[in-house]
Amino acid sequence: MIETQSLTKIYGREDYALRDLTVTVEKGEFAFLTGPSGAGKSTLLRLLLMQERPTEGSVTVGGRDLATLSPAEIQAYRRTVGFVFQDFKLIPSKTIFENVAFVLRVLGQPVEQQRRRTYQVLKWVGLQHRHNAYPLELSGGEQQRVAVARALVNEPHLVLADEPTGNLDPDLSLEIMNLFRDINASGTTVLVATHDRELIKWVGRRVIQLEHGQLSGTAEPAS
Amino acid sequence: MTVIGYAFEEALASLRRSGRSALVSIGTIAIAFVTLGGFLLVSVNVQGMLDRWLEAAEISIYLQDAATAEERQALEQMLRARPEVAAVEYVSKERAFQRFRTDFPELTDVTASLTENPFPPALEVRLRGGADAEVAAETLAKDVSGRAGVGDVRFDRRWLSRLLGVVTSARVAGLVVAGILMLGAAFTVGAVVRLSIYARRDELEIMALVGAPFSYIRGPSIVEGLLLGGLGAAVALAAVAILYSLVGRWLGSDFAGLAGAGQLRFLGYGEIAIMILGGISVGAAAGTLASRAAHR
Repeated sequence: MIETQSLTKIYGREDYALRDLTVTVEKGEFAFLTGPSGAGKSTLLRLLLMQERPTEGSVTVGGRDLATLSPAEIQAYRRTVGFVFQDFKLIPSKTIFENVAFVLRVLGQPVEQQRRRTYQVLKWVGLQHRHNAYPLELSGGEQQRVAVARALVNEPHLVLADEPTGNLDPDLSLEIMNLFRDINASGTTVLVATHDRELIKWVGRRVIQLEHGQLSGTAEPAS
Repeated sequence: MTVIGYAFEEALASLRRSGRSALVSIGTIAIAFVTLGGFLLVSVNVQGMLDRWLEAAEISIYLQDAATAEERQALEQMLRARPEVAAVEYVSKERAFQRFRTDFPELTDVTASLTENPFPPALEVRLRGGADAEVAAETLAKDVSGRAGVGDVRFDRRWLSRLLGVVTSARVAGLVVAGILMLGAAFTVGAVVRLSIYARRDELEIMALVGAPFSYIRGPSIVEGLLLGGLGAAVALAAVAILYSLVGRWLGSDFAGLAGAGQLRFLGYGEIAIMILGGISVGAAAGTLASRAAHR
C-alpha cells in the first residue's frame, strides 16, 4: 500500500528530516511509526499526505508515485486518505455533524446520502447524540473521535494518524486505538505515528522505528 | 449543494463577518464607478448634442455691403452647382438684424440704440452629411473666400470639430482616471478578500488537507470579490441616477434648449451593463488574484 524508496527530505541546507528511508506498509496492515521527537515521523506523514515534496527518492501509495500528481490530482488523492491530526483540526465554526459531512459535501454526494453516512460514522464513534455541538463544546477525547469519524466518513483505503493520542489521557488513548483497530479490521490500512511505547505494546502491531530520519529497525508484534 | 451554492453561502457569511471592511470596499468600488458612470453620462449627452450640432452646421458666407446683385447671384449659382451643398439661403441685412432681435430679446436696449444696421448680408449654406463632409466644407470655404463680393467665411464645423477633439481627449482622460480608480478599488477588494481568507485560514487548511477541490477552496473568495464589485457598481449606478436627476432638475429646460431638439438622457442598457459587469469583473478578478496569492 505504501512504499518509500531512498526517501530523503532536507530542510534548509543540511538539516536532514529523513535520510535514505526505504519502508513498506502492506495493504490491510496496521503499523506504528515510532521514534523520539525529531526522528522524522511527522515528516514522513506530511510527505504521504503531499503537504511537502521529497528532496530525493520516491513515495508510492496504492501503486501511484505521488511525485507525478498534479495539484488537482493531489486533492483527489487526499480524498482517498483519511488523516487524523494530534490537534484534531476541526473547523470551530461548524457543528461536528457539519465537520464530518463536509468531506462528503465536497465530493458532491447527495444530501440524503451525506446525512445517512455522517450519522453512521458519528454513531460508530459514539457521538451521534452530540451532532449539533460545536467542537469547542466537546472534550479532547470527543474531538479526536470526531476527527476519526471525519477521516473515515469517505471510507478511505488508507488512514494516517499523527500522534492522535498526544493530547489525550491514557483511557481516552485506548479508546481511540480501539477505533483504529476496528477500522483496520474492516480492511483499511492504518499507519499511526506515536512515541507512546505503552500504547504500541497494548495494541500489539508491527512497529517501524525511526531515528534521526533513518530506519533504525522494525519489530513484529509479540505473538 | 453545488460548488456555486457553497461558494455563495460562504461568501455571504464572510461578507457578514467582514462588516465595516466590506462596506469600505463597496464604497471605494462605488467611487470608482461613479466616476466612470459620470463620464459615461456626460459622454453620451455631449456626444448627442455635438452630433446634432454637426448635422445642423453651416457655412456662413458674409457678403460685403457693397456686393452687387450679380456677384451674389453668381455666387449662389456656383454654390448650388456643387454636390456637397444641400441648400443655400440668402439672408439680407434687414433679416439678419430682425433675427438677432428675435433671438436676443434681452438686448433690445442695445439694438434700439444702434443708428445703423451692423449685420452684413449673408449666404447660409447647408452641407450634405457624410464621412468626407468636413473636407468638402474646408475646400468649399477656401474656394469661396477669394470671390468678388465675399467679405468673410465662417465655418461652424471647424470649431465643432475642435470641440469634438477636446471632448474626445476629455473622454480618454476620464477613462484613464476611472481606470486608475478601478485599479485602486480592485486592490481594496483584494485586501478585504485576503482578510476573509486570513480569518478562514484554519478552515481552508483543513479543506485542503481533506482533499476539497480547488473550486471549493477558492470559490468563496472569488464570489466574495464578485459580490463586492457588483454591489459597488450598483451603489454607483444609484448615485449616478440621483446625480442625473438633480442636475437635470437644476438645469431644467435651459439645457434642453442648449442641446437643441434633444433632451438630457440617462445611461442606456449598454452603459448600465458596462458598469455592472465591469464591477463584477473587477471584483471577481481581484478575488481570484487574492485567493491565488493566498493559497500559493
